[in-house]
Amino acid sequence: MSGFALLFLVLGLGLVAWGTARARAARFASAGSARAHSRPNYHGWYVALWAIVPALIFLAIWGSIEPGLVMGAALDSPAAASLPMPGMERSAILSEVRGLAEGTVAAAFNPISNALLPAYQAASMHYAIIGTLAAVLLALAGGAYAFTRLTPDFRARTRVERVVMGALLVASLIAILTTLGIVASLLFESLRFFAKVSPIEFLFGTSWSPQTAIRADQVGSSGAFGAVPLFWGTIFIGAIIAMAVAIPLGLMSAIYLTQYAKPSTRKWMKPILEILAGVPTVVYGYFAALTIAPALRQFAVSIGISSASSESALAAGLVMGVMIIPFVSSMADDSIAAVPQSMRDGSLAMGATTSETIRKVLVPAALPGVVGGVLLAVSRAIGETMIVVMAAGLAANLTLNPFASVTTVTTQIVQLLTGDQEFDSAKTLAAFALGLVLFLVTLALNIVALRVVKKYREAYE
Amino acid sequence: MNSPLVAGVPATGVEPPAPAARPTEWKGARMQAGIRRRYAAERRFRLLGLGSVLLSAGFLLFLLLTMLGNGLRGFTQTELRLPIDFAASSIMLDPATLATPAGQAALNTADIEGATAAAADVAFGAGGARLLSDGGWLRVRDAIAADPTILTRKAEVWVPAATGIDLAAKGKASPEDEAAYARLNRAGATKTGLNLAFLTSADSTDPTLVGIWGALKGSLLTMAVTILLAFPIGVLSALYLEEYAPRNRWTDLIEVSINNLAAVPSIIFGLLGLAVFLNFMDMPRSAPIVGGLTLALMTMPVIVIAGRNAIKSVPPSIRDAALGIGASRVQVVFHHVLPLALPGILTGTIIGMARALGETAPLLMIGMRAFIATPPGGITEPATVLPVQIFLWSDEVSRGFVEKTSAAIIVLLVFLMLMNGIAIYLRNRFERRW
Repeated sequence: MSGFALLFLVLGLGLVAWGTARARAARFASAGSARAHSRPNYHGWYVALWAIVPALIFLAIWGSIEPGLVMGAALDSPAAASLPMPGMERSAILSEVRGLAEGTVAAAFNPISNALLPAYQAASMHYAIIGTLAAVLLALAGGAYAFTRLTPDFRARTRVERVVMGALLVASLIAILTTLGIVASLLFESLRFFAKVSPIEFLFGTSWSPQTAIRADQVGSSGAFGAVPLFWGTIFIGAIIAMAVAIPLGLMSAIYLTQYAKPSTRKWMKPILEILAGVPTVVYGYFAALTIAPALRQFAVSIGISSASSESALAAGLVMGVMIIPFVSSMADDSIAAVPQSMRDGSLAMGATTSETIRKVLVPAALPGVVGGVLLAVSRAIGETMIVVMAAGLAANLTLNPFASVTTVTTQIVQLLTGDQEFDSAKTLAAFALGLVLFLVTLALNIVALRVVKKYREAYE
Repeated sequence: MNSPLVAGVPATGVEPPAPAARPTEWKGARMQAGIRRRYAAERRFRLLGLGSVLLSAGFLLFLLLTMLGNGLRGFTQTELRLPIDFAASSIMLDPATLATPAGQAALNTADIEGATAAAADVAFGAGGARLLSDGGWLRVRDAIAADPTILTRKAEVWVPAATGIDLAAKGKASPEDEAAYARLNRAGATKTGLNLAFLTSADSTDPTLVGIWGALKGSLLTMAVTILLAFPIGVLSALYLEEYAPRNRWTDLIEVSINNLAAVPSIIFGLLGLAVFLNFMDMPRSAPIVGGLTLALMTMPVIVIAGRNAIKSVPPSIRDAALGIGASRVQVVFHHVLPLALPGILTGTIIGMARALGETAPLLMIGMRAFIATPPGGITEPATVLPVQIFLWSDEVSRGFVEKTSAAIIVLLVFLMLMNGIAIYLRNRFERRW
């Protein structure tokens, strides 16, 4: 029986348990003796949980050990004697047998697979019956045990609520687990990378060409992992060009919409600007690569820069800047709104014009908040992937020319990890080291930014 | 704000009451010039603000119009009327047996491709086969399967045209394709109509045959996994953190991790998925279940943060009233707080899901960029998703893919707008101000 059918069977048993227990508990009330401690619903849930939870735990464990058991039984059969020694070929045959049995492979490529198939199917059937029976028995036993405990003064509600609280706690621990998972996987793979390439070379080397040798005698294939050009490209696109677009436009939009625009205009314009943040990045990337980049290249050639690349840093940076506008704008909006009204009124009362008030009072007062918002925007820009993958190049250049091609950390991660890969080469491990750097930098930017914003909010409260 | 205080008082010139000291010369030329200068600066600043709003909005408009301009043509397709004399062709099939399984097998192995090409050469002159799409013969096969009796006579079948002819029909192509199209058009052998196959078929190497259904189905399966995991976990942790969690180091740790996870670049989640789900847990590559798990981890913090805000906005009096009439703390939350906070939670969830639907980078990491020519049948089968499909098509060299990519983008944007529209509706309809 397939996993889903089994799951629904167990859940169905749980439903039956819920119904019977609820009906029995309802009779406590009508029996007229002392009032029952819990409502019938809670009795139902108590029995249902006893029926479902142990069976599900068993199914989860069984699901992870069953394939091994089945394969072990199949390998013990006489047909397995002709299998080759452990290695690529053997595992290929075994996965083919599995595919045949599940129907995902139409016909066997290797004749041994066909020979092994009956033994595999027999073992598979054998263990499927054992698993189903055990799960059903567990569900029935759990339900029956719980059912016998139901009495009018049984504290079913307390028990059920304890389980609910446990579930809440477990759910909130998943966030910690995810963070741990990220840190552990990045750190673990990075350490393996740094065993092959020294961290000094990685962090301070200026030459990046991750092609490792396919043949031992290949020329120029040693692989250089100096990531400085990638860091520079990331900063150039994400923190310089994109911010040069996003900060003025975002800040001025926020100022106009909060200080000058009529409420009706504001009501329409703000959501329109926010659409910019909701457009998927792959759309921006396509737009940058198809429309902006060729136009910029033509422009550069027409003003005499013949070396202009069609994968220029400028195209990626400009489009990324537009994507960040609503982000900067809403952060600026919040911090300007947090400046006390009395400061504004004071400035206006002294005879300053609105723009003088904004430039000399509001913006300086809101500056820490705006800076915090910009830091958050930078952290978002340098972690952005699709725009740079599609519009920026792969050439690791250390250049100040915005029309030249540069590459970024995220582009290289995608480049290193897609396509044919063997998992242990320095090339794929380098992607995790880059990921670790990216994670740490964005984390640091976020922590600093949140601290700045928080401190500034406290100053005016 | 245009306060009359600023503009009015100095300009109309209320004289200072004490003439003993040297008065400020409000009417003096120097003063007037200064005020004019300041007002000019005010107007410039205001225009600058308006300009940047309009520039941002203009960019959005430009982007959408470019996509619409390129993409709407992707929904149409040019077809050629191909007369085929089946009786005289190289297809050796007996119409009577086609209904049987053996007949189906014979249909699959028959040389329909060759017969179609030969018919095209006859109908459109030498080299006529090149005017048809590479997969055009599949349409002929479908026609035979639908009506086996045409095998005994002459028949006309509408067959998709090659990319060049298709582009020529839509207005921009090489001169020879334009000429070929003009010739066919004079003969009345062309029609350009809605391309339903684009919405119902999967990826292909030929731009005239591609469709988005495969990618769309992959997206829907992935989203289903994501919401089944992220929504319950997100809501439960929001409830725990907001209603029950004691103030201690553990709670702080949970809060810090959630806030940080919300800001971690999406590609890092892809690395996590690759290292943990694929390499450590050995789950199938390219499968919606892995994509869904990865996106669920990414979406969960968004739901938690939105959920906490929604729960926070339920006034304490509701909790006090429920506690006062004897509800337990779990009953207070699940019977009263959660139903009242649900519209806010749902709004946040939909926005988080919209973000996950447009996400590409983490899915590239876990191998959802494979060429998949059949729609996935389940959550463990290889699949791709809509944004990744857009990325893959954008890399294709064939010019026919430009309009298909833009058309896929239009479909993606329509889905996102629908989701955001629902979120806005929910917010306006159900959210209560206390």
